[in-house]
Amino acid sequence: MTRRAVPMLALLLAGCASAPTPGTLVPAERFSQRVVPGTTTRAELLAAFGQTRTVVFDSGMEAWLYSAAAPGGGASELVLLLDRGGVVRKMRVRPPAPGDQPR
Amino acid sequence: MRSTVSALWMLALLPLAAQGQVSAPAQGAPPAAAVVPPAQTVTVSSTRDPVDKSYRRMIKGMLRFEREHALAPQATLRFRLLPRTPKVDMDGITLKVVGDGISVPVPVAPDNSFTLPRNEQALREDAAVLANRKTTSMTWRAQVITPGLPPGARRLGDLRLECLVGVEAGLVSNRSPLFGWIADTLNSPEQVCNSPDGNFLFFTERPLFSVTLSAGARREILPFRFLYAGGEQTPDMLPYCDCQVLLDRTYYAPIWDRSWPDDTLLTFDYMDDANAPEASP
Repeated sequence: MTRRAVPMLALLLAGCASAPTPGTLVPAERFSQRVVPGTTTRAELLAAFGQTRTVVFDSGMEAWLYSAAAPGGGASELVLLLDRGGVVRKMRVRPPAPGDQPR
Repeated sequence: MRSTVSALWMLALLPLAAQGQVSAPAQGAPPAAAVVPPAQTVTVSSTRDPVDKSYRRMIKGMLRFEREHALAPQATLRFRLLPRTPKVDMDGITLKVVGDGISVPVPVAPDNSFTLPRNEQALREDAAVLANRKTTSMTWRAQVITPGLPPGARRLGDLRLECLVGVEAGLVSNRSPLFGWIADTLNSPEQVCNSPDGNFLFFTERPLFSVTLSAGARREILPFRFLYAGGEQTPDMLPYCDCQVLLDRTYYAPIWDRSWPDDTLLTFDYMDDANAPEASP
């Protein structure tokens, strides 16, 4: 029992520290041309850029994360907010920051 | 690491203890079969739930606030109750400090914030801070706010102090009850608040889309992984997270990163487009 419990707990604790999955990599220019807040829909996103990392909230809103190669190296985050009807409401681009470090 | 190993061995011994197989030293004790203790009556005037908030620990949190006040010299400390489970009614909450022989009412403000009175008897009796709601139906937090900030902004030094006080006071409960006591042995305020892996959650008043840090000329948007408890909570994990019903209001602040000074400001872009200022965290 003791021999089993210790490694099992270690595995459980290790599982808590797994790194987040980045968003699907997309071409930045095409993304900025195709995605228009207030217009672009979930179906259009899936068709153009494929599935990616999403967070679905109890409210029905969704946050989607795509990534794009940044000009100076690294990756920019392209974050979308989809409303309950599946339409993009907000978008933000976060370039890689010099101070980026693992959280 | 030593405490980790000790905790693991203690866990391994738990089933034995539950079966009565871990016994105290029995030096000089007569054989158990020969001892028939006289019947005793014990009166218990109140029962403590293991998840009740400890008055002693919350007072320790208040002392921590006083010791670390330099992080937020102008700020005051309150505690705050937030919803945790979907159906909890956050209106009309009452609080009291309850010990074996004492019960002290604690006034709760309309925003469900409160301060704790100091009471020596309650300290001696290891009193509990009880709400007229199930303790685990709410998220408990320290609230440290410097007056005079731009509308809707938070100050990083205030958040650093909220973390230290919140952990010291035993308010955080992002864990399964089974492993909760282990988390206590592993997570001191320093370990939680000074580490990128501390996972101390902060909450906004409204659903959140983006957080921007500003310090002098330096300005950065927080990465996606700093929002929504990392964005990796699955439905079966949420009941063990303080963010259970606040997921869209949840963020991590880089309180461990000393390249951001205490006066760093955090500003918020919300999911809705209202520009109403944020009244409090």
